[in-house]
Amino acid sequence: MSSNEAETEDAGSIVLWNDAHPGPDMISTRTLGFWLYMLTDAMLFASIFTAYAILWHNNAGGPGAEQVVHLVPAFVETALVFASVFAFGIAMAALKRGRQGSVVRWIGVAFLLGAGFLGMEIHEFAALAQQGIVPERSGFLSSYYTLVLTHGLHMLFGLLWMAVMVAQVLRQGFTEGVVYRLLNLRIFWHFQALIWVFIFTFVYLQGKL
Amino acid sequence: MSHQQPNPLDHPEVRLASTRGYLTGFLLSLALMGLSFGLVATHALSQFYGRVAISTIALLGVLAQTHFLFHLDWSETQRWHTLGFWLTVPLLVLLLGLSIWMFHSLDARAVMSGMG
Repeated sequence: MSSNEAETEDAGSIVLWNDAHPGPDMISTRTLGFWLYMLTDAMLFASIFTAYAILWHNNAGGPGAEQVVHLVPAFVETALVFASVFAFGIAMAALKRGRQGSVVRWIGVAFLLGAGFLGMEIHEFAALAQQGIVPERSGFLSSYYTLVLTHGLHMLFGLLWMAVMVAQVLRQGFTEGVVYRLLNLRIFWHFQALIWVFIFTFVYLQGKL
Repeated sequence: MSHQQPNPLDHPEVRLASTRGYLTGFLLSLALMGLSFGLVATHALSQFYGRVAISTIALLGVLAQTHFLFHLDWSETQRWHTLGFWLTVPLLVLLLGLSIWMFHSLDARAVMSGMG
């Protein structure tokens, strides 16, 4: 296959400089690309954490972090996120052994634990809103809602992604495409646990210190 | 070009998965967060030392996760992931540190009464 004679080659079939080079394969290329994307997501979270760090004392006479956060439910949420991440890890170990049923079951467990986390979070914020503790009340509350719910939104998209992957594993089996998407979902899901360490520490625990 | 399609399950990144590693990561993260939780719930430390303690524990938790969950090491398949991560860390530190410093020094120099 020589690419230097093709002057009118269409964009879809252009190969990069040296296609004979035993470089990164399709799966590695895509997981690296997705990992770099997740690192830009880390920049997004760093910006929101920055806003929170600057605003969290500005409660404008309204409730502060100490009144808003509750440690025990937050620790249960922590356990749910970590357990969900662990369940997804077991699914990846089952993938290594090529066990389709086991992969689907453990992604199902990860889904349920993640949904449990999201349910608790929605309950927590619904209770706050009912007491009139809404984001527009103060700088602290705007940044608190933004930070915690941005993570919650990531969790929601992770759950949707899991549902899609279960369908793809069942319909297509372990093709190259399905496998790299499972690897990327692992990165995405584990990343949520990493962010949660910071939210639990610097929002919940810090609020009660 | 011969197309001998290799089995995707033989890919080194699939082979990285380890139930024992994930279990260790899970237990270690949960234990560290439990320790922080205990320190704050019992008010065992002053505010300053409490802040130092929970920040240090969070850092250890993150390091445990990068090792056991993200497999960030210098092996052939993971080295670019690891490099990307460690080159992002200074950016995060600069973003957080410099922004907080700017606003902190602004607060110190300007009296913004009535701002909420």
